[in-house]
Amino acid sequence: MMKENDKKVGVYICYCGGNISDHVDVEAVRNRVEKMPGVAVAKTNMFMCSDPGQELIIDDLKSGKIDRVVVASCAPSLHETTFRGAIERAGANPFIYEHANIREQVSWVHHGDPATDKATVLISAAAAKARKLKPLEPIRVDAKKHAVVIGGGIAGIKSALEIARNGIEVAIIEKTGSLGGNLNNLGRLAPSGENASDILQEILGKVKAAPSITIHTGCEVTDVQGYVGNFTLDVKGRTDSFKIDTGAIVMATGSVSYQPFEGEFGFGTYPQVITLPTLIEALKQSKYQTETGWFEFGGKPVRNIAMIHCVGSRQIPGIHEPRENGQLNEYCSRTCCSAVLNAANQIKERFAKTRVVDMYRDIRTYGRGQEALYDRASANKVVFMRYEADAMPTVEKSSTPDFPLTVKIKDGLTFNEEMDVPADLVVLATGIEPSDVSGLASAMKLPVGTDRFLLEVHPKLRPVEFPVAGVFLAGTCQAPMDAGEACNAAGAAAAKTCALLSKGVIELDPFVAEVNPDKCQGHGNCVDACIKEGALKLVDVQRGGKTVTQAQVTAAMCLGCGACAAVCPEKAIDLNGWALEQYEDMVDAIVAA
Amino acid sequence: MSSKANKILILATETCAYPGADSVGQAHSSYPANTYILRVKAPVLFPESFYIDCFKKGISGIIVMSCGEECPYEGAYKALADRLNSVYQKMKALNLDLKRLRLTAICTVCNRAFLNEINQMNELVNKLGPPQPA
Ligand SMILES: Cc1cc2nc3c(=O)[nH]c(=O)nc-3n(C[C@H](O)[C@H](O)[C@H](O)COP(=O)(O)OP(=O)(O)OC[C@H]3O[C@@H](n4cnc5c(N)ncnc54)[C@H](O)[C@@H]3O)c2cc1C
Ligand code: SF4
Ligand code: SF4
Repeated sequence: MMKENDKKVGVYICYCGGNISDHVDVEAVRNRVEKMPGVAVAKTNMFMCSDPGQELIIDDLKSGKIDRVVVASCAPSLHETTFRGAIERAGANPFIYEHANIREQVSWVHHGDPATDKATVLISAAAAKARKLKPLEPIRVDAKKHAVVIGGGIAGIKSALEIARNGIEVAIIEKTGSLGGNLNNLGRLAPSGENASDILQEILGKVKAAPSITIHTGCEVTDVQGYVGNFTLDVKGRTDSFKIDTGAIVMATGSVSYQPFEGEFGFGTYPQVITLPTLIEALKQSKYQTETGWFEFGGKPVRNIAMIHCVGSRQIPGIHEPRENGQLNEYCSRTCCSAVLNAANQIKERFAKTRVVDMYRDIRTYGRGQEALYDRASANKVVFMRYEADAMPTVEKSSTPDFPLTVKIKDGLTFNEEMDVPADLVVLATGIEPSDVSGLASAMKLPVGTDRFLLEVHPKLRPVEFPVAGVFLAGTCQAPMDAGEACNAAGAAAAKTCALLSKGVIELDPFVAEVNPDKCQGHGNCVDACIKEGALKLVDVQRGGKTVTQAQVTAAMCLGCGACAAVCPEKAIDLNGWALEQYEDMVDAIVAA
Repeated sequence: MSSKANKILILATETCAYPGADSVGQAHSSYPANTYILRVKAPVLFPESFYIDCFKKGISGIIVMSCGEECPYEGAYKALADRLNSVYQKMKALNLDLKRLRLTAICTVCNRAFLNEINQMNELVNKLGPPQPA
């Protein structure tokens, strides 16, 4: 075996097109690094992540000039995998790689000589670690070709269908008595005008026809054990409890409609103040047209409807009142503008006499085909008024007997004129709130944002993935989105699930504890310190014709925390890829500078 | 090098504090350059001797930036807190100012907390100078 001081480290320093080189004298760093112990090659490039940048590494590895790699560039979260990939393409082991973060943690926060000096030190530390890196083999575990989708809304159903189409069994676990989620509550969908029930009928038909999809309605997951490829879920039904073994999990628990509090825009005080879902239901239930030409609600003709946008969304601290739990919904619910205008158009096109006044803060009909809804509403003579967040409309009992309610608004479209709008019906464009999955999230250690939606690892680098391997997410449990977008996310989550499970084996990162059998004396301190049940145990092994007791790691169970390494008096157990001794060398490099 | 005397070592967890430091970078918020951030999976890896050795080698201050209660390794945070308590005992015996070692929780977007911690430690090490273990 080669000694670490035989290691030939290649160091590649990135300009990042000026992002780094504007503050760090990259060439000066290169000159210093080149002279460091163990550094065989030091090169610079305008963009290390570009093909020519990666080619530098590949060529030097192939020609045998180097056998360890350090790239000094942006944060490792962005390109560590890129460079490991390049190493793999050169036919080498991807784990001989160490990253030096000289953009986010140097050039963007320090300037001048201190930046150049610090970049040099960080690279020297990375090179010191690199000399102690060894090739690692990914841990292979068998994976069950089975996935569980939690939540049977459109996102869950679409995920399940796609996964099943790829030959993997799926179980859908739905809390309520039926599949379909919020689409059950909608009529004609924005922007296309298709009937939600038609869409549901079509995809539910496909689900029922798919023999590899099992549906559990009226069920909830109470606990999740295991790891990627081998999860076990405890499921509680209305009358029974059971377990499901599965390889991957898709969270598709969706969202609920915001419920206004008592008195919010007169809600709960006046029966004529209703939410958007109530209006959508009424439009679904009512005859296509009426003899009178008025839209009717509660058996009464509606002459004027006022619709108020952004109720329960885009709330501003200091202006809006938080819930008892201190929660404010600061996000835009993204679906309500289109849904309101869609409803307004249906009213104007079916019940020509009813007047619609649309009171908005902003109109956010983003996305293909959505702006047309606004144009159509304008053509349909919907009257628009605009309010500011700090001067919201108020809903009051009318002072005249002609109408039950008056909406007072300071209209920004008419130079802040104060208007009294008489109304038979006030519709609150209530937004979306995530379903409460706090129990599941903490059982599975899934990150939840301050807005209570579930958080994917990274929207561009690792969309629809959780940091917990083998768990994905789709639909409005992640953020407000319309049904089309929820289906896109579902497709992505399904594709990632299939890619993960299709081979029947999974490769895990090899960053786990490893016991050095030459040193281990079987003290067992590590076993006591280990925080993961089943990851580490003492076993009797044969060594040199004798039976000795030594520690043994179960790689697939090991979390890679290193709690064991800290307590071994023999230094016989360490963490692959993140070894204590590597850190000691890094500290030496830092103090030496 | 300019900051030779007073080096601050920062052990930053890869899931919370390290991306937190990146987020400070993305905001282009400047902080003293005598800070050296090492990315760690969980600081529970480090035995007591690691900290003491760092001080003996000349590191002036150490900030352990963990995920706090959000630690993805259940049970590790408590072990870490216990560990640091025994490090403090050892530091006392060596006549090292206990403020040179600090355990804190930094999230991925805790920019202000990150800067506060660094500035406070920097002030301290500038006042105390390099460690002189007894
Ligand atoms: C008023 C309103 C109008 C809208 N109008 C439109 C429109 O016109 N056009 C459009 O494209 N979109 C519209 N949307 C958005 C659309 O409803 C969503 O995009 C879509 O329903 C998202 O689907 P989903 O599967 O992510 O979530 P959901 O439909 O919310 O489904 C989630 C499912 O998960 C279940 N669940 C939750 N928690 C658990 C648990 N712990 N265990 C098991 N199951 C669980 C729920 O019971 C539910 O069945 C509108 C939304 C609202 C609120
Ligand atoms: S979609 Fe429109 S109504 Fe809904 S929160 Fe956003 S801006 Fe307000
Ligand atoms: S690294 Fe952590 S989980 Fe793995 S064996 Fe050591 S203590 Fe246990």
